Amino acid sequence: MIAEFVASWGLFRDAYLCGWLIAALLAVVGVLVVARNQIFLGAAVAQASTLGIALGMWIGSAFGVGGLTGDHAHGALSLIGVVFAILAALLTARGSSGGAGEAATGWVFLAAASGAVLVLAASPHGLEEISHLVSSSIIGASPADVWLFAALALLSAGGVLLQRDRLLLFAIDPAMADAVGMRAGFWNAAIAAWLGLAVGLSMRATGLLYTFGCLVLPPLAATALCRESAPLFWVAPLLAVACSAAGFVLANHFDLPPAQMAVALQAGLVAVVWSLRRIRGLGG
Amino acid sequence: MRPGEDILLAVDRVTLGYGGAPILSDVSLEVRAGEFWFLLGPNGEGKTTFLRAVLGALAPSSGRLALDAVLADRAALGFVPQRCAPNPILPTTVREFVGLGLVGLTLAAAERAARLEWALAHAGLAGFERQSYWALSGGQRQRALVARALVRRPRLLVLDEPTNHLDFLIEAGILALLADLQREERTAILFVTHALHLAERYATHVALFHGGAVEAGPAAELLRAERLARAYGQQP
Repeated sequence: MIAEFVASWGLFRDAYLCGWLIAALLAVVGVLVVARNQIFLGAAVAQASTLGIALGMWIGSAFGVGGLTGDHAHGALSLIGVVFAILAALLTARGSSGGAGEAATGWVFLAAASGAVLVLAASPHGLEEISHLVSSSIIGASPADVWLFAALALLSAGGVLLQRDRLLLFAIDPAMADAVGMRAGFWNAAIAAWLGLAVGLSMRATGLLYTFGCLVLPPLAATALCRESAPLFWVAPLLAVACSAAGFVLANHFDLPPAQMAVALQAGLVAVVWSLRRIRGLGG
Repeated sequence: MRPGEDILLAVDRVTLGYGGAPILSDVSLEVRAGEFWFLLGPNGEGKTTFLRAVLGALAPSSGRLALDAVLADRAALGFVPQRCAPNPILPTTVREFVGLGLVGLTLAAAERAARLEWALAHAGLAGFERQSYWALSGGQRQRALVARALVRRPRLLVLDEPTNHLDFLIEAGILALLADLQREERTAILFVTHALHLAERYATHVALFHGGAVEAGPAAELLRAERLARAYGQQP
């Protein structure tokens, strides 16, 4: 099985590397999403990115904008997807997870999900693209994608290293964070921009399922394995990369889609570690 | 601030409100080291608004609110919020939770450890360091909140209804802890509550919030039946 995977390395190297880097990046951001009890926000932001990409494609075909059509549209569409993801994150991430924030998250998800399909309903090629984004595929990543996500993952790791306690305090108790001099507006905006950038770029490269899965499932599994919150920032990406690596190997062997296999393994891992924790809790 | 008077907070004819609508007008008071202030009054009279201004989250629309230089960078300012509800699936120990109170302070590892030990001991949580925060009782969690404020070794400690919904024994324990701090460390304390019996026992000073105004002064002058009745809208 491993030998087959190694043999496929030359053909899919960029896709594998990109998938692992995205998994690590999203799992780090996802720790904050889970800590702030805003899991559904991840799906809404990813869906908003899909709407942005759909609108970009529609504008490209309806008005003949050269940068938004054809083989060279990847960068421009990614940019629009990122802008929409950041806007959605800013709209939904203000304040706490409850009440108005949750309502805004639901609205963004539903408006973006329906809008993306309606915008491209008349374009068979466009609908195919939306379906591709929603179902996820890591195949097709370029060397530029690898460098981009490597840089983002490194920047995120550096940011967490320097600001870990501030991020945790802000996630756990925004009122206390405000009292010790952290500006709530700035931190809300910074976290929303970070989430929007990571999700928006990942959406174009891998699609909704892989993006949402890596954002949420590894941090959820890590909460059952750690005794404190600080280690979540390295345990979650480690689990994300491990599941993706195993998923890609299995997918290659059984000729199955790798993104779906990786997310299925992540979901299985969450089920196992949460069950073990529950059994331990009942026993102790 | 007048030098040599130990004034930590000076509020001079301050107006506070949201979106141009004033909630409190012409508020003046001075808080000195070692004073235990009780902020009293019915719901919706601006006590939490006043605390927000002291904590720097709300700027006065007029007047002057000044903190002593030792509090300007918030390093020596502690805050205990009304409630703290972290996501219950988030793993955390008492040590980690209380340690988050050190955010923004640049301290050597030994000093951090010493402060944690001191705060946990004062809050009655010595020996609980490695225990999960989620295994604590309601009263112990409230003590953890107080400990998280204490690790900053505050000169001014601000508490927003910290004993709400706690039973009598736990409330008495927290108040005894605060009284010790006030006496031994000369910590100035601003305590928002509805519990008049606590004010009668512990307050050195009182601020009565009513009708957009604040009456402030020594507890002996303000904790009188006629003043309280007026503040709470009853006949004396």
